[in-house]
Amino acid sequence: MLAVFKRELKAYFASPTGYIFMGFFLLISGIFFALSNLLTASPNYLSVLSSITFVFLIVVPILTMRLMSEESRQKTDQLLLTSPLSVTGIVLGKYFAAVMVFLLTLLITCLYPIILSFFGTIAVWEIVGGYIGFFLLGAAFISIGLFISSLTDNQVIAAVVTFGALLFIWILDWIIGGIPTDRVSGIVFACALVVGVAALVYFTTRNIFVSAVIAVIGFGIVAGIYFANKYFFDGFIVRTLEWFSLLSRYETFMMGILSLSPIVYYITFSAVFLFLTVRVIEKRRWS
Amino acid sequence: MIQVIDVTKRYGQHVAVDHVNFTVEKGEILGFLGPNGAGKTTTMNIITGYISATEGTVKVDGFDILEEPEEVKKRIGYMPEFPPLYMDMTVQEYLDFVSDIKKIDRATKKKSMEKIMDLVKIGHVRNRLIKNLSKGYKQRVGLAQALIGTPPVLILDEPTVGLDPKQIIEIRSLIKELGKEHTIILSSHILPEVSAICGRVIIINKGRIVASDTPENLSKRLSGTGRLSLRVAGPEKQVLKLIREIEGVKNAEAQGVKEPGTVDILVEAEKDIDVRRPLFYALSRAEYPILYMRSVDLTLEEIFLQVTTEEREVS
Ligand SMILES: Nc1ncnc2c1ncn2[C@@H]1O[C@H](COP(=O)(O)OP(=O)(O)OP(=O)(O)O)[C@@H](O)[C@H]1O
Ligand SMILES: [Mg+2]
Repeated sequence: MLAVFKRELKAYFASPTGYIFMGFFLLISGIFFALSNLLTASPNYLSVLSSITFVFLIVVPILTMRLMSEESRQKTDQLLLTSPLSVTGIVLGKYFAAVMVFLLTLLITCLYPIILSFFGTIAVWEIVGGYIGFFLLGAAFISIGLFISSLTDNQVIAAVVTFGALLFIWILDWIIGGIPTDRVSGIVFACALVVGVAALVYFTTRNIFVSAVIAVIGFGIVAGIYFANKYFFDGFIVRTLEWFSLLSRYETFMMGILSLSPIVYYITFSAVFLFLTVRVIEKRRWS
Repeated sequence: MIQVIDVTKRYGQHVAVDHVNFTVEKGEILGFLGPNGAGKTTTMNIITGYISATEGTVKVDGFDILEEPEEVKKRIGYMPEFPPLYMDMTVQEYLDFVSDIKKIDRATKKKSMEKIMDLVKIGHVRNRLIKNLSKGYKQRVGLAQALIGTPPVLILDEPTVGLDPKQIIEIRSLIKELGKEHTIILSSHILPEVSAICGRVIIINKGRIVASDTPENLSKRLSGTGRLSLRVAGPEKQVLKLIREIEGVKNAEAQGVKEPGTVDILVEAEKDIDVRRPLFYALSRAEYPILYMRSVDLTLEEIFLQVTTEEREVS
């Protein structure tokens, strides 16, 4: 894992990718810092951290598009997968390399609050908390990008799809606001989920029997829940989509609150996508 | 050392490898011969654990690729069809990285890297970026990569493809040299190459093994129908008539005139009959001198044709 991590980190700075990422990130954060802190003489640095989250939409695809797709295109995955490394080790090595580049960039932006501290007192712990949240948010986005990069051997497709996925998460809270919360649509949605899962199982295993059993069990669970607790389906769609709402968790950090549950949430979120990435790579070898 | 047990690989409906069984003993160099799409690369990818078989399994040194993949992978150096090179690294950085992922001891790493770079003669390009190397040198770096950690088993997929004749000879003798301490499987399209290096040859066609033998036995078996190419000074009609009358000649055909006053002829003899002497006497009696006579090697296509039709007759 360490070898992959080191190679990947070097590769970022052997190509323009690392510099583009850092440069763009520092430029945008610098502009926002100047506008909202320096020019207005405001000590509220957290507002910078919360307004620049949109940079992720652009820079995360740059950071992650190459990670797995380039390996399959150049056939270098053959080297990695026939070496004694585990797939998990490979994926983690790549993930941490991307996260490391991001972390280094964040450390540079720490200069901004330090500059601020010369002009007056700043809320140090709130800013540290804000950074932790910002870092975890970025790391979660990177895990999505890594996952998408493992699905294709074309960097451009990986970048575009990652952008789309992040954009979706970006506007998710806004979508949630307009979604019906009544019981019927909740049930319909739950059934659609069951069908989706069964279809996914069918397309990966080509086993109609297993997917039919899964569908039946799934419908059974939906019916069971319905009879046990009708109210469960009120607002079910919203509650499901909220699982993916990375940004709403981020708000607590921006209010200067450092609590455990969003931290656990982000780490779990990244772990799930890393796990999926491993599965995709393992799966491809079986097909 | 290597046991391939009933390995089958299906891609949807298409069967790329069809119930292949063979074993390779320690220290053996096995040649894997077959036309495009025969399933050579697929079989090698399965042995090295890059892809998994639909059915069957592979054991290396007693370890099962499905149950203990790491143990198997530790023992194999693989040079795939396309060398898996990182274009943005120098040769040295690359080999260093490969040593790391193969978990080579830090202490011995430097030394073994030097040895390998010497062996495949890439020491003088060690600080060049891989993307700037010529095809032949990329191929060598690919081979070097497989040698790192001196794994007991080497799997080489068309190691000489795309090299110039001098490099081909060099790489072949290198492989022969390596065969002294490694068990090697090597694939190729070229029969003479395989027979020059390998102790045993497996011919694979459409995913099935159609022949498995030593190169000598194989060529003995295959040279059954002797074919001779000759140039005779004399009129085409008479010469052909004379030759066709000789006992044991199955067929004779004119191949055109390359030299004025002569004719080139391709003679096909019956199985196990040597017609060279009768040919000589018959033509010299008629005072049509033979300017040259040599046996014609079967092309790979003809061998496949022959082997596959033979199989059908047997079964
Ligand atoms: N990923 C894949 N998906 C579908 N079919 C495949 C895949 N990989 C290989 N095949 C098919 O499997 C068969 C065997 O291919 P393979 O690459 O093993 O042949 P080969 O003997 O190495 O040929 P060559 O001499 O051209 O390298 C071919 O018909 C090929 O089209
Ligand atoms: Mg091949």
